[in-house]
Amino acid sequence: MINISLLSKKYGDQTVLNIDELHIPSGQTFGLVGNNGAGKTTLFSLILDLISPSTGHVKNNGVVVADSEAWKPNTAAFIDEQFLIGYLTPEEYFYFIGGLREIKKDVVTAALTTYEDFFHGEVLGQKKYIRDLSKGNQKKVGIVAALLSNTPVVILDEPFANLDPTTQIRLKNLLKEEASTTGKTFLISSHDLQHVTEVCDRIVVLNKGKIVRDEQTSPTTLQELELFFREQL
Amino acid sequence: MIKRFIYLQWKSFFRAAGVATKMLHKILLVFVWLYFAFVFTGLAFIAFFGIQEEIGEDPLPIVSGFLFYALAIWVVARYFIQKMPLIHVKPLLAMPIARVNIARFGLLKTVFSFFNIVNLFFFVPFGIILLKEGYNPIGVIGWLIAVGSIILSTNFLNIILNSKDKVLVAVGVLLLGVYGLQHYEMFDITAVVGPFFMAVYQQPFWALIPVALAVVTYQWSLSHFRASLYLDNEVMHQKKETHRAGELGWLDGFGRIAFFLKNDIRLIVRNKRARMSVWMGFAFLFYGLIFMSDLYSGAVWQVFIGVFVSGGFLFSFGQFVPSWDSGYYPLMMTQNVPYKEYLISKWWLVVVGTLISLPLASFYLFFSWETYLAILAGGIYNMGVNAHLVLLSGAYTRTPIDLNSMQGAFGDKKSFNIKTLLLSIPKIILPMFIFYVGVLLHSKLVGFGLIALVGVLGVALRNAVFKWIEQIYQHEKYQTLDAYKQRNA
Repeated sequence: MINISLLSKKYGDQTVLNIDELHIPSGQTFGLVGNNGAGKTTLFSLILDLISPSTGHVKNNGVVVADSEAWKPNTAAFIDEQFLIGYLTPEEYFYFIGGLREIKKDVVTAALTTYEDFFHGEVLGQKKYIRDLSKGNQKKVGIVAALLSNTPVVILDEPFANLDPTTQIRLKNLLKEEASTTGKTFLISSHDLQHVTEVCDRIVVLNKGKIVRDEQTSPTTLQELELFFREQL
Repeated sequence: MIKRFIYLQWKSFFRAAGVATKMLHKILLVFVWLYFAFVFTGLAFIAFFGIQEEIGEDPLPIVSGFLFYALAIWVVARYFIQKMPLIHVKPLLAMPIARVNIARFGLLKTVFSFFNIVNLFFFVPFGIILLKEGYNPIGVIGWLIAVGSIILSTNFLNIILNSKDKVLVAVGVLLLGVYGLQHYEMFDITAVVGPFFMAVYQQPFWALIPVALAVVTYQWSLSHFRASLYLDNEVMHQKKETHRAGELGWLDGFGRIAFFLKNDIRLIVRNKRARMSVWMGFAFLFYGLIFMSDLYSGAVWQVFIGVFVSGGFLFSFGQFVPSWDSGYYPLMMTQNVPYKEYLISKWWLVVVGTLISLPLASFYLFFSWETYLAILAGGIYNMGVNAHLVLLSGAYTRTPIDLNSMQGAFGDKKSFNIKTLLLSIPKIILPMFIFYVGVLLHSKLVGFGLIALVGVLGVALRNAVFKWIEQIYQHEKYQTLDAYKQRNA
């Protein structure tokens, strides 16, 4: 689904990302971990064509993202609060996103009821604008909007951060369920090794802009990852 | 302490996005300052020698009498234009700095605002002239201190007006009341204010009253500002608004573009800055009234009025496209929306704004049908040409607008840059030129016709032009995204 080749991003003479090859097949739940500054958000921004690559390219479903907009129907993302519209209520925001994705209003309404647990009664029907919600609730809104966009590819940057423990568990279940029932390709970054190994089929570790580990998740993955990051001390 | 605050200001200026254009902006500002210095100094000379020679009376009592009007205008102008002191206060609150010092610094910043300094250009030369003409030096100094104190009082008063609605209403009623009494000749305020300032001149100790007033307003605004330095306060944090503008179902007929239009309407209704820009556009409608005197009866000026009056919304709101969406630009760029559709929805928005202004401007028919014809022609030109140009310059507008901040809509000319400036020339000059050609060819009517024709052509060629504009947006996309990341810049 996502094919990356010879991709690099330089700022001045500092290389912040340098990936020779990376293929993410359709239907995979792809986990990305790495310390701050490892290039996780840079990679996602390149995949979403929010920054331009210094060399190489990203292909999404066969489309070079920097050359054509044809990948957009294919992909939904929630990176940060710049993906939210602060002056809308959550409902208005979902209908807006749904509208752009050409999803009928009643379909959006129906989809929202399936996320009621996840919202925990704090998001819908509050008559509050998104800008007045707490950080955690804003995050819920962004994640759900990306999920209900109904796209083959979903990109979530640090979806677990800022969520309360209960919601983190709910989100894990939600992602696992979506991945198994819908066949969507998920790209998820996280600092929480346990969550990400639980949810993802494959873990890629970035360090200083380079891929240093790339493996299918196994029962020992979590331990190995913890060991790896301890070595970085 | 103050030194550290200044250091922060300095960094926030030089590390903001687009420092180069900011520098240019500042340089331009210097020229604006020079202009005002020139004008106000000139006014000082006119105020003295003009009155002395034309009316043949002592200028000081007359100027003293007029001071009330000057101050009333100052209070109103400040309220609408002057920015509230804005320091990036959040990181400072938890520091070992007394809140009162943060508040003092905020107030100190307002003292050096344009609205205070510009007065010096009038009153200092005026004072020097008075001294040269042999007025009593101590009296003149007392008089100047009194005037300066009153100006500072209006400065501090403005801070309270901006946050306390009750005081705002009280001052508004007071000013309107005085104006009304004056208008119906029941009570002449200048007959009180004038003699008071003359009393100050004759016995300078009276200046203590204005000085006391300045101190009182300073303390009042300081305590108010200090008390508001909490994150949940409404001065720092925009009031939580209740749900406004709901379904807007009537827009659905527009198809996919309706989604954007709905959003833009909500943007305007729910954000102070966006609302202000619409009010400003509304005010443009009356712009032509200034030119209704004989001085501007020249036909080319009518075109100027026509473009301005019908284009208020286009200029005031349109010039900040796409900055209005800066807070969620990455979202827009990853949604299932081709750029072109996004741009066309913005085009519709400014076109609808222009269309609404045309019937609203029909009161110009009372002046002359020619003026209204100019407005109609200007309106068509705005829709066909200027709407495109405004969107084109938007590609180079890279200043994020933080919709949640309290910054005024006027003082904040941050989106200025040289490319947008150049692009604004054809918006006004070109239609005047086209009209002139029409007049040379045949008559005014042909001139108006030509302007409208160019406008219609622009509408017809919209899709071709937008293809080109879209390419420019694409080209500028990464830079724009990068600049929009820097909020509070």
